[in-house]
Amino acid sequence: MIEIDRLTKRYDATLVVDDVSLVVEEGTLAVIVGTSGAGKSTLLRMINRLVTPTSGRVLIDGEDTRTIPEDELRHRIGYVIQGYGLFPHRNVADNIATVPRLLRWDRRKIAQRVDELLDLFQLDPAEFAQKFPHELSGGQQQRVGVARALAARPALLLMDEPFGALDAVIRSKAQDDLLAIQRRLGTTIVLVTHDLNEAFHLGDRIAVMDQARLLQYATPAELLMRPADDFVERLVGTAERPFRLLSLAKVREALEPGHAEGSPVAASDSLHDALSRLLWTGRRALPVADASGAVIGQVSVDGILRHGRSLP
Amino acid sequence: MNSATSRTDALGAAPPHPVFPVDRLGAVIAILIGIALFAAPFATYRATRIASGQSRILIEALPMTMAAALALVALGIAVGAVFVRDPLGRLASAVLGLAVLLPSLGLSAGFLTPADNTFARVTPSLGFWLLSLAFSLLVVDALARMRLGPYGRLAALAVGMGALALLLLSGIWDNLSILKEYYTRADSFWREARQHLLLALGSTAAACLIGIPLGIASHRMRTLRAAVMQALGVVQTIPSIALFGLLMAPLGAVAASVPLAAALGIKGIGAAPAFIALLLYALFPIVANTIAGLSQVPALAVDAARGMGMSARQRLLGVEMPLALPVILAGMRIVLVQNLGLATVAALIGGGGFGTFVFQGIGQTAIDLVLLGAIPTVTLSFVASIVLDALVDLSRGVPA
Repeated sequence: MIEIDRLTKRYDATLVVDDVSLVVEEGTLAVIVGTSGAGKSTLLRMINRLVTPTSGRVLIDGEDTRTIPEDELRHRIGYVIQGYGLFPHRNVADNIATVPRLLRWDRRKIAQRVDELLDLFQLDPAEFAQKFPHELSGGQQQRVGVARALAARPALLLMDEPFGALDAVIRSKAQDDLLAIQRRLGTTIVLVTHDLNEAFHLGDRIAVMDQARLLQYATPAELLMRPADDFVERLVGTAERPFRLLSLAKVREALEPGHAEGSPVAASDSLHDALSRLLWTGRRALPVADASGAVIGQVSVDGILRHGRSLP
Repeated sequence: MNSATSRTDALGAAPPHPVFPVDRLGAVIAILIGIALFAAPFATYRATRIASGQSRILIEALPMTMAAALALVALGIAVGAVFVRDPLGRLASAVLGLAVLLPSLGLSAGFLTPADNTFARVTPSLGFWLLSLAFSLLVVDALARMRLGPYGRLAALAVGMGALALLLLSGIWDNLSILKEYYTRADSFWREARQHLLLALGSTAAACLIGIPLGIASHRMRTLRAAVMQALGVVQTIPSIALFGLLMAPLGAVAASVPLAAALGIKGIGAAPAFIALLLYALFPIVANTIAGLSQVPALAVDAARGMGMSARQRLLGVEMPLALPVILAGMRIVLVQNLGLATVAALIGGGGFGTFVFQGIGQTAIDLVLLGAIPTVTLSFVASIVLDALVDLSRGVPA
């Protein structure tokens, strides 16, 4: 658990981060979103003390980060930046091994960990371990960047616009991969983005920042239903609101008894996806299948529309 | 790498009118060979080392068969240079040319020198120099077209130097005037050679020891950078002889007042001021390239290194210096080549080195003695530049 307690950063007269407090629960993904210059990167960089706070403190599992030597603190926190900052003179394996080497793991253990991570990120160790960053595609570089950050099994991962340099198709795949890996490893993640769709897609909770201040820190649904002020309301977009809500809800939640024709949608799909399928196929309802493929009921246009209004 | 590739490809591609494909550099080489054979003297004969010379054209300078053989080979190469495009063929023909030309110079010296005459001197003349220039151009051009990697270039250098050593050791050139000058002062030649290398390499090493840390500090501190670069920039503008002169007074004073310094051989003239002057000239490129090298290290890589908890020292040694190394090595290349040349001037203030022969030769109007100092200096610079170029490539080279 990370507690950010009244953090403030001031450069001379300019206030970059103004009295921000928030708590990120263990194993969850918090997204900091806002326009550029809102102070979100500075807030992130104060967590691993790349930026020294003017006042306030950060507690990681109750431990004040000021009591931990800076380098040691950073060994324990994964860090991924836009553009990744891979070392151009080191190959993929050496890049990933950076923090384990700083921690003086033995060589066998490092080699094992590198292979494990390459497998996790669907990069064949035989093919990729010896490659240099300039020989990789953007998506591969991004995966190596995240693998490097996770190498020493940090409990906390900080990500600053980690998907910013990817094109749309690769980006959504990379986002899904990150979610899958996060679920699997139980890593706590704080991620900075200016892309609201990304925030809604990834965040368990979303912190909205503007002009150095934290405007609202809430679950995506709360953000949509009860925006704290005009800025947040404009940011989440009144026209987009019902569709975002549907994106957050699963088909399972609008499941109705009955039998419909057509190829089934999965119970774990979002209502947004199900509605899209219904509109495209021109049907009033579609069957719903569970994870094993068995049909467990149906989902209808009317049922989904009711959800679009009444989600809590 | 890419631009070099496409440039060479453009050279190698067929011209728009492929009726009569003529190689432009080859044409220049052919003209050089023509002038060398038919319009220039091959060697110069002098009755004594300071007498005025008499020119000898090729057929006078060599026995008939040798002269004819050399002329035929040279003409063949001229034709080949214009029409043959395969780099390996061009390289082979040029190497053959050098293999005939270089020994024949020695034969010419033996042929022109009357028996038992130890005063007569034979020096290569314009024709010889033009032929060796033409063949060398062909070699360099062929090697460039073969796009040798750093190891290939080092190997080519080793082969060339080996062949040169073989020519010198075989005794075939012993009748040439430069070697006669050498044999009369072989002891002092090697002493000055050692001194020359000591001055040039030592001052370069000292400049690295001082300049690289200074460059690192200047990269970090903007104010220091401005001061250091300005001061070193001023030093660069002082002509070398003036700088030697400027150093005489303070070093003389040090020697007079500090007995230890005098005991160490530090005085107003000699090697100490020469060493210090070379060191001062060397500092600017080293410091400037260290700063430039560090500035072009990707900021993201440094930020990532900091974010992963690398200490300042680990970042410098593990990330910044390795990434700056090619640029720093390029600075060392400039300095080494520059100092190998500048060390010649050290002889003026008693610092020794190959300059000793150059200035003695000028004083005695003995051109052979000047060459005895100048040719090794040029050769050293040439070797240093190729070796360090290869090192720069290797340090840049992510093995593909």
